[in-house]
Amino acid sequence: MASSPMEKRRLKQAGSMSDPLWYKDAIIYELHVRAFADSNNDGIGDFPGLLTKLDYLQDLGVTCIWLLPFFPSPLRDDGYDIQDYIGVNPSYGTLDDFKAFLEAAHDRGLQVMIELVINHTSDQHPWFQAARLAPPGSSERDFYVWSDTDQKYSDARIIFTDTEKSNWTWDPVAKAYYWHRFFSHQPDLNYDHPRVIEEVIKVMRHWLDMGVDGLRIDAIPYLVEREGTTCENLPETHAVMKRIRAEIDAEYGSRLILAEANQWPTDVRPYFGDGDECHMAFHFPLMPRIYMALRQEDRLPITDIMAQTPDIPDNCQWGLFLRNHDELTLEMVTDDERDYMYLAYSADPRMRINIGIRRRLAPLVDNNRRRIELLNSLLFSFPGTPIIYYGDEIGMGDNIYLGDRNGVRTPMQWSGDRNAGFSRANPARLYSPVVMDPVWGYEAINVEAQQSDQSSLLNWMRNMIALRKLFRVFGRGSLKFLNPANRKILAYIREFEGEQVLCVANLSRFAQPVQLDLPGLECKIPVEMLGYVEFPPITSQPYPLTLGPYGFLWLELRPAPEKEVPAEPIDGTSLHVSGLADWEGLLDGENASRIEAEILPEYIQRQRWYGGKSRKIKDTKIIDWGTCAAEQFALALVEVSYSAGAPDTYLLPLATTSGGDMDNLRAHSSGAILTLLNLPSGLGVLHDGIFDDRCCKALLSMMEQSSEIPTRNGVIRGLRSSILESLEGPQPELLQARRGSAEQSNTSIFFSDRLIMKLFRRQQAGPNPDTEIGKYLTEFTTFAHTAPFGGAIEYRAHELTGAITPASDADRTQTFAMLQGLVSNEGDGWQWTLEELDRYYEACAHSVMPASAAFREQVAREHAGIYLDAAAVLGRRTGELHLALARPSSNEAFSPVVFTPEDFQSLGKDLVDHAAISFDLLKESLSQLPDDVVESAGLVLSRRRIIFDRLRQLGALDVRTLKTRVHGDYHLGQVLRVRSDFVILDFEGEPARTLAERRAKQSPLKDVAGMLRSFTYAAFAALMKYTSRRPEDYEQLEPWARLWDEAVGAEFLRAYRETVAGSDVVPEEPQAFQKMLDGYVLDKALYELTYELNNRPAWVGIPIKGILSLSE
Amino acid sequence: MANLEAAQETRPSGDTAGSADVLIGVPAPTQGTLLHERVADIRDEFRSTHPSIRCVVAYPGIEGTGELSTLSEPAGELGSLRAVEYTLSHGAASTVPWLGLAPAYARLADLAIQMGAGACAILSPDLAAFDVHSITLLLEPLMDGRAELTMPLYAPSKFEGLLNSGILYPLSRALYGRRVRYPLGPDFGVTTSLLTRLGRRRARGTEVEDDQAAIWPATEAALSDSIVAQVHLDGRHGAQNEGLDLPTVLGLLVGSIFNDAERNPVVWQRVRGSQAGLTLGATVDRIDPGAKSAGALDVRSMLEAFNLGSRNLQQVWALVLPPVTLLEIKRLGRLTPEQFRIPDALWARIIYDFALAYRLRTLSRTHLLGALTPLYLGWVASYAQEIANLDAFAAEQRVEKLAKVYEDEKPYFVSRWRWPDRFNP
Repeated sequence: MASSPMEKRRLKQAGSMSDPLWYKDAIIYELHVRAFADSNNDGIGDFPGLLTKLDYLQDLGVTCIWLLPFFPSPLRDDGYDIQDYIGVNPSYGTLDDFKAFLEAAHDRGLQVMIELVINHTSDQHPWFQAARLAPPGSSERDFYVWSDTDQKYSDARIIFTDTEKSNWTWDPVAKAYYWHRFFSHQPDLNYDHPRVIEEVIKVMRHWLDMGVDGLRIDAIPYLVEREGTTCENLPETHAVMKRIRAEIDAEYGSRLILAEANQWPTDVRPYFGDGDECHMAFHFPLMPRIYMALRQEDRLPITDIMAQTPDIPDNCQWGLFLRNHDELTLEMVTDDERDYMYLAYSADPRMRINIGIRRRLAPLVDNNRRRIELLNSLLFSFPGTPIIYYGDEIGMGDNIYLGDRNGVRTPMQWSGDRNAGFSRANPARLYSPVVMDPVWGYEAINVEAQQSDQSSLLNWMRNMIALRKLFRVFGRGSLKFLNPANRKILAYIREFEGEQVLCVANLSRFAQPVQLDLPGLECKIPVEMLGYVEFPPITSQPYPLTLGPYGFLWLELRPAPEKEVPAEPIDGTSLHVSGLADWEGLLDGENASRIEAEILPEYIQRQRWYGGKSRKIKDTKIIDWGTCAAEQFALALVEVSYSAGAPDTYLLPLATTSGGDMDNLRAHSSGAILTLLNLPSGLGVLHDGIFDDRCCKALLSMMEQSSEIPTRNGVIRGLRSSILESLEGPQPELLQARRGSAEQSNTSIFFSDRLIMKLFRRQQAGPNPDTEIGKYLTEFTTFAHTAPFGGAIEYRAHELTGAITPASDADRTQTFAMLQGLVSNEGDGWQWTLEELDRYYEACAHSVMPASAAFREQVAREHAGIYLDAAAVLGRRTGELHLALARPSSNEAFSPVVFTPEDFQSLGKDLVDHAAISFDLLKESLSQLPDDVVESAGLVLSRRRIIFDRLRQLGALDVRTLKTRVHGDYHLGQVLRVRSDFVILDFEGEPARTLAERRAKQSPLKDVAGMLRSFTYAAFAALMKYTSRRPEDYEQLEPWARLWDEAVGAEFLRAYRETVAGSDVVPEEPQAFQKMLDGYVLDKALYELTYELNNRPAWVGIPIKGILSLSE
Repeated sequence: MANLEAAQETRPSGDTAGSADVLIGVPAPTQGTLLHERVADIRDEFRSTHPSIRCVVAYPGIEGTGELSTLSEPAGELGSLRAVEYTLSHGAASTVPWLGLAPAYARLADLAIQMGAGACAILSPDLAAFDVHSITLLLEPLMDGRAELTMPLYAPSKFEGLLNSGILYPLSRALYGRRVRYPLGPDFGVTTSLLTRLGRRRARGTEVEDDQAAIWPATEAALSDSIVAQVHLDGRHGAQNEGLDLPTVLGLLVGSIFNDAERNPVVWQRVRGSQAGLTLGATVDRIDPGAKSAGALDVRSMLEAFNLGSRNLQQVWALVLPPVTLLEIKRLGRLTPEQFRIPDALWARIIYDFALAYRLRTLSRTHLLGALTPLYLGWVASYAQEIANLDAFAAEQRVEKLAKVYEDEKPYFVSRWRWPDRFNP
């Protein structure tokens, strides 16, 4: 039965691509029909001419052609002033010519994207001509935005500052002002009038029905106007875009909307909606920062803007470009950055226009081939779809003597023939003169010459494009920046579905060394992607590379090939077992005795997670064990006794293997092997279970299924959180296990990029506070700025044995493992802060410290503005954490309690006791201190009584405040920088303290004090590092360090207090608040003093300075 | 006899007319009388060995005489073997062996789906493998889930199938990492879903008509990450390329595999080494009449063709091959026929360089593949002399050695593919 017209309408029209996400893998080529190829020799490029060049584009490897406006137009703004939306400018051909071009492009596998300029029309458009004649209030009139005054919407900026003085222009015919955000001959359409959107949708259908694959929506932010706003990015504008998208989704398949929104990434983000507005948007702020990073030879401009780039929905994509048909826009940079860019890239004022620089890529970088290649390597390897501007693939130049932005819109240079092979017309007839100077002229730079030159830029571009297309990771993968000490090196890892690529770029004009920390990538083989050259394998040591001037490397990280390891003869050192799953044979009886006496002491001693390295192991004993995953693996508790002191207990997952897996383990992870096994079938090994991915998955599975396994003396239980399913994602079976490399006391196992499991090696009685608090925050509070809790594995002994002596029955439960959602981040807060401080000191090195305090504050904001904002965010998050932990709870471990006078007395006493220990140690160590701190240390000792008195005063406090569970070891290293925010981690408390102490309720001000001291530490640690290169700057910069510390601390505290205001989390009364806080800060500084005296005497000056400052 | 039982749960509900458990498809017109005889020959044996299996033989019309309707059994009866005729659109039937089979595969896949058959055996139109044993071997691993594609392991004479041994097998193995000795078939077993994929294959941008392209089941299995098993078959096919000259065959088959390489770099550039996969069935022992007769293959004309090419095609080869390879070829030209040996690594690189030139369209693809012919004849001469005194097993080992060298030289191919700079050694 034939379908009705209505039914037909419902069927989606397929695009030329079947993959709806095709744009993620695309290489877009932007061109103007007028400038590309002239077939009829009238001096203007046309569609038949373009058609003849499709083979060239196919050969270049681009996959999508973006056509600049080709519609009938007076061409007063290069076609962006449209007179007829559904026609073709006769100069460029006919509609049939367009259709023939479209079909030919599709035949070659090329997609086509056209412009949808819907913010405004030409003043010659029939709609406008009708509007100015129509009476006010009529439908025709309301197609545009009219006013009797030019004062409406006065908060909207003027964009074309060089030519326009107002966004309103008087129309003598209509006798009213009309609104235009761009040129006065481009009146803005009025989207408050329902007919406008209907007409726009008709236009859209006209082209999509024809088979056009994509629409670039011009000037999106300005569609709607509202009084009292900047008339940019309004909710009503988003409503228009959602409507357009809904029309496309309903009727068309595999089409694309690309948004032109020259805004900050956070403002562009809403144009993706929930994946229901635009598929793509340009990343405008990145482009100038790439040029800035290149000129400054510093990666920070790039990493900073990428850090400010929010996540976008999975079906969306950024559009990346180095240059386009407009000026190199400098709207999305600070004033200082703009000045720098003008100085760096536009020596001649003629190169500037509006707020930008009107130059092509090659002239911008002084025609340096290496720079061009470096910039393109970034373009092709950054997350997004690269867009190439026509002619940039051959390094075309520009003509700054032409008006407006026409200097970058000259005819394509095809050959050294007449008119650059673009047209056979009389040169005077050309729409624009071809570039003719000796360096950039078509005789020197043209396609034909470069096609025959194997080493040309054109061939280089073609190879790079082909290479990029081989790896979907570039278009679809995640991005993680590395932080090598050498800031001239930009290094990042792209990852997608198991494919990993390491990109390293040298932004400097000189060769640069770099050492890359690549945790988790040990044993991977980097394969240089251009030449398929294998580099040495990655080890646990920093990976050294040297890059030539402007050099770059794309390294595919491949797993090491399996090596054939000769089987070892079975000798007396191996244990005899009946099979790989013969755990009883291994862990009970004679074999167990050998394992305990000979194997474990040696094995444990060499493990990174072993905490008693300075203690001599006397004995080990397997105190309990059980098997999981159908007896494939075992979980064992091993008690380690020492010659002196209390024993420890460690968790040991165990696995056995033979054959190829064994060979692989022996080749790459021999440290994980406990012993050889003598099996009936041959040789096997007993090894740490986490080196078997199946064992890792079995642990995960225990949580997923909340399963329970009996052990010899207890039970092991898996626990799952209510959000585990969402953390695992849609295909948990595909999660790939890998072991973390930065192992310390715990062992980390990653499951793809979604989950991290921490195995608590050293076991203590009672619930692990990290697990306990993580679970509480996830399951019982709304606090979202922590790693979400996914599950745990707990152990409960039937009888009390061994070293673990629980204080209560509840403490009989121990935590083996905790699972959390993996938070993608830009590094920990400490590292990020040090980098920011490095910039701060660089900026302050030659600045004069203002005398007035008010002015100092202003200067601090100027130099450390980003960090001040970050400190406020951190203060807010800290407050929110404390509020969450202070909620009334039926769980006794979390229910807050009110500070009693006895609590205050006890607090004062404890702090004095701590201080006494620190002072005694300082006195003992005085003779060994560095010369430059001896005097200050003496001063600290002289203040012993003052400090004791101050701490004792805390005992006399009588104020209402709460004791709650707290972080307990709060500092910058315990937070992650995530976009423009922070995530708080690691609630384990201070590792040196007992579990009971770590779980005790305390004043949240302990955390606040910890973070304030961390700021101070960062300020001076960064200063020490900075001035190690320039010692002469220390005197100059120390006041700046203090200023930063004060300003950042004040901002953190302000935001914190605002957040907790009205609660009893901390004392409301300012004096009591300050007194308590000072006490905790002093206590922390004294704790640091003890730590540094014991571990890092060179750093002892930092806490000493702090104590002096706090005791003044 | 291996057991070929259909799992009950895989059967369509109710034995409707036209349903079947397995489909035997003949993808090209076959000789009618022959088909008549073969179906009659094996019906009883099939019924006794596979009493629960319903099997349909589908063939694209019949050449000559023969009436098959008398061989049909009531639809849906267990232990049945019946034949149905299917039609191919005009011109869809292949005129060249190996080529243009996509429409037939598509049609057979449609038939299998209609009948509810989950597994298919595709047999060469010469019906050399049309026996219960071969069919069972091809289908059994599919039905018990051990494989999604079963490819044949023939036991030909050591001088047979040299194009496959010298180029198609080692190149296919190196590219896609599957050790499939006969990657093109012509007999193979396949799941219906994979056969559907084969039917959809169209070679865009190839020099031959889309529908005339060779379809490589082993390649398709690699692309879809399907499990492949090889089964030892006793069927002995006649010369497949009878009536076609060598340059044409080279052009069609080598061009086809090059074309696939051009289409799938994302896949093959990630493959390292190769996997042996499952091999089933007993090795077929056959007395090879040429085994011990040295010089059974007269290589003089081949060497003449090689030397003629060396003289006349230097300029063409210079566009394709790097200087060090050209120098090696030049040295080969100075050797006596008895000394003439092309080292494996050199041969592998020559093939890789031609594959690259094919992709880059360095010259017309027809001319390019034509220029490969004298080099191939040189390789055949070298190889034939080398294995002249070897038995079939040793000759097979020699092919394996060559295939390993192709794998070892693959990084050369990848690097040249990624950065095809002519300024190379």
